[in-house]
Amino acid sequence: MHCLPSFVIVILTVLPLSAVAQSSEPGLTEPQPIESNQEGPPDPRQIVQGAIDQWRGVSSVSELSMSIRRPDWERTMTMRAWTRGDEQSLVRVLAPSKDRGNGTLTDDDNMWTFSPRVNRVIKIPSSMMNQSWMGSDFSNKDVTRADDIVDQYTHTLVAIREQDGITVYEIEAVPLEDAAVVWGREVMLIRSDYVLTEHRYYDQDDELVKTLTSLDIGEMGGRMLALRQRMQEVDSPGAWTEIAVKSAEYDVDLPDRLFTLSNLRNPRD
Amino acid sequence: MSGVLRISSALAWRNLWRNRRRTAIMLAAISVGAWAMIFLTALTQGMVNEMIRDGLSVLPGHVQVHHPDYRDDPSIANLIPVADGELEDRFDAAGFQDWSTRIRVPAVISSERETRGVTLLGIDPARERNFTFVDLETLDGRFLDGTEDRGIVIGRKLADTLETRTGKRVVVMSQDPDNELADRGFRVIGVYRANLPSYEEQFVLIGKRTAQQFLNVDDRVTEAIAIGDDFREVEPVLQEVRALMHGDPVTVNAWWDLDTYLGAMLPMMDGFVLVWVIVIFLALSFGLVNTLVMSVFERVREIGVMLALGMRPSAIRWQIVVESMLLLVFGLVIGNTLSFASTYAIRDGIDVSIVAEGMEMMGASARLVPDLTVDNVVLANVVVLVLGFFASLSPAWRASRYDPIEAITTVQ
Repeated sequence: MHCLPSFVIVILTVLPLSAVAQSSEPGLTEPQPIESNQEGPPDPRQIVQGAIDQWRGVSSVSELSMSIRRPDWERTMTMRAWTRGDEQSLVRVLAPSKDRGNGTLTDDDNMWTFSPRVNRVIKIPSSMMNQSWMGSDFSNKDVTRADDIVDQYTHTLVAIREQDGITVYEIEAVPLEDAAVVWGREVMLIRSDYVLTEHRYYDQDDELVKTLTSLDIGEMGGRMLALRQRMQEVDSPGAWTEIAVKSAEYDVDLPDRLFTLSNLRNPRD
Repeated sequence: MSGVLRISSALAWRNLWRNRRRTAIMLAAISVGAWAMIFLTALTQGMVNEMIRDGLSVLPGHVQVHHPDYRDDPSIANLIPVADGELEDRFDAAGFQDWSTRIRVPAVISSERETRGVTLLGIDPARERNFTFVDLETLDGRFLDGTEDRGIVIGRKLADTLETRTGKRVVVMSQDPDNELADRGFRVIGVYRANLPSYEEQFVLIGKRTAQQFLNVDDRVTEAIAIGDDFREVEPVLQEVRALMHGDPVTVNAWWDLDTYLGAMLPMMDGFVLVWVIVIFLALSFGLVNTLVMSVFERVREIGVMLALGMRPSAIRWQIVVESMLLLVFGLVIGNTLSFASTYAIRDGIDVSIVAEGMEMMGASARLVPDLTVDNVVLANVVVLVLGFFASLSPAWRASRYDPIEAITTVQ
């Protein structure tokens, strides 16, 4: 339930999960092609880090749509998201109109939501961090804690294979003993251009619980991205959440005032 | 005069056995009544004791010290404003039967499948072993090793809900004093059983030192507790802890303040026993008065003759009252014996697991152990004797007021 990187990635584009940063120097850099700086097998941790950087950039502005599908209903929301650095993100719902203006602000591990209907900013308490974010298959914690996949796990490169003419690295991530992660292990498939194609979550009995899959991969905002990703639990075949990137711009200059509670409440963007 | 009394008493004794069957029935009624008073009181008292003991077992500490705001808002922000090391020194020097300091905060625990709200206890296992509600005999896995143990011990029911077990990892989330999220993975090292399944769901235990690091509180705790010999006699311990904490901005409470429901149980129980005893006695008293009235009616001529021969009315009264008291005393002796015997027969408790769920709602466990207290036995006997005395006054008064001539000529 925690921060899954992939998810992170998904949202990262959008939401700045606090993640990536720690292993890279301040001011995220564009990832180098994996092969170019490697002798021998590449470092799996760097690949993961690179995938997160790829998603997020130093800063980003993007427009997303999130579809939540349940056996008896489905709904789609359009959102705009700003991210900066590892810690800061702001997501605001554009449509449907009844949800318009709902916002989520994250800064470090903290999270606040605002709904114009109640006209209040609410800080999400730790007891609610495991609850669903906007009714989706992602939890609030997924949204705030992206970096965990880098610094709370040990990574192993399991396999390297060619697929559709591109190299795909299969990386297994096992959480550290004290990590705030419930999974037994996670497996990520990351292409050599740092696009995550699949992220699988296994429980501690090594049964697959849920999978994040990239359905469309293409170029957006000058980089290769998973344009559409689906999070699906193995036990509930009729229910999933899809996030699609409609537009994205990277490395834009974002003002400080964007990531403030007052901006969450009174949008001036 | 004492000669007259002796004669009256002898007459009373003999009168009692003139109608053996009636006396035997009355004795049986009094015995059963006394048995019901004492035995049922013992059962109820046993149940109340169990509730209080169970309640106190998860609230270990007859006397507890908290930050003044902790009871309204049991969060990690309301720490005792005295360092834990200092608290430990003070409590250690005071020589309580048992004492401990701990962290108790709300938290959220999650596995791959489920998330639940729980109460997180950061304890010193070496201290708490003596009085913890965790049943160490049936613990699956191991208990915490020390304050720095990195594992977590959870209840069986919680483990079922989370679909986890010994050896797997869970994540605990709470917050630190600055309201920042604190979360961390713990490996489940033990799954415990407790008297009440609801405790197994509510409490998870980790080492105190680990909890302090996890929650970012240095050397601080949320509560310090002391335990005395008996939960009924806590006042001396309370005074002593008050003295220990004198001058610090903390609140010191006894268990009846901390859990007012439990605290109300003891006085409520005493009131209940009194009402119960009186109700039974009222039913009994009709039989008693009726018996006395009948025996007086049967002896109107006899009483008339005694009065005519010069016996004083007071001696007649005495005779009737003694007759009544003898009846009651014998009935009580048999009733007490019966209730001691039946209490002894079930001294290990009776299994009420058929209604365990209902009992649990009241906070009592599935085993009912009677508790015969001297207070309750004395209360029942005194009520029967005193009220019995007053009940017998009316027939006695009537008997002493007969006009000898009318009484002698009464045709029976």
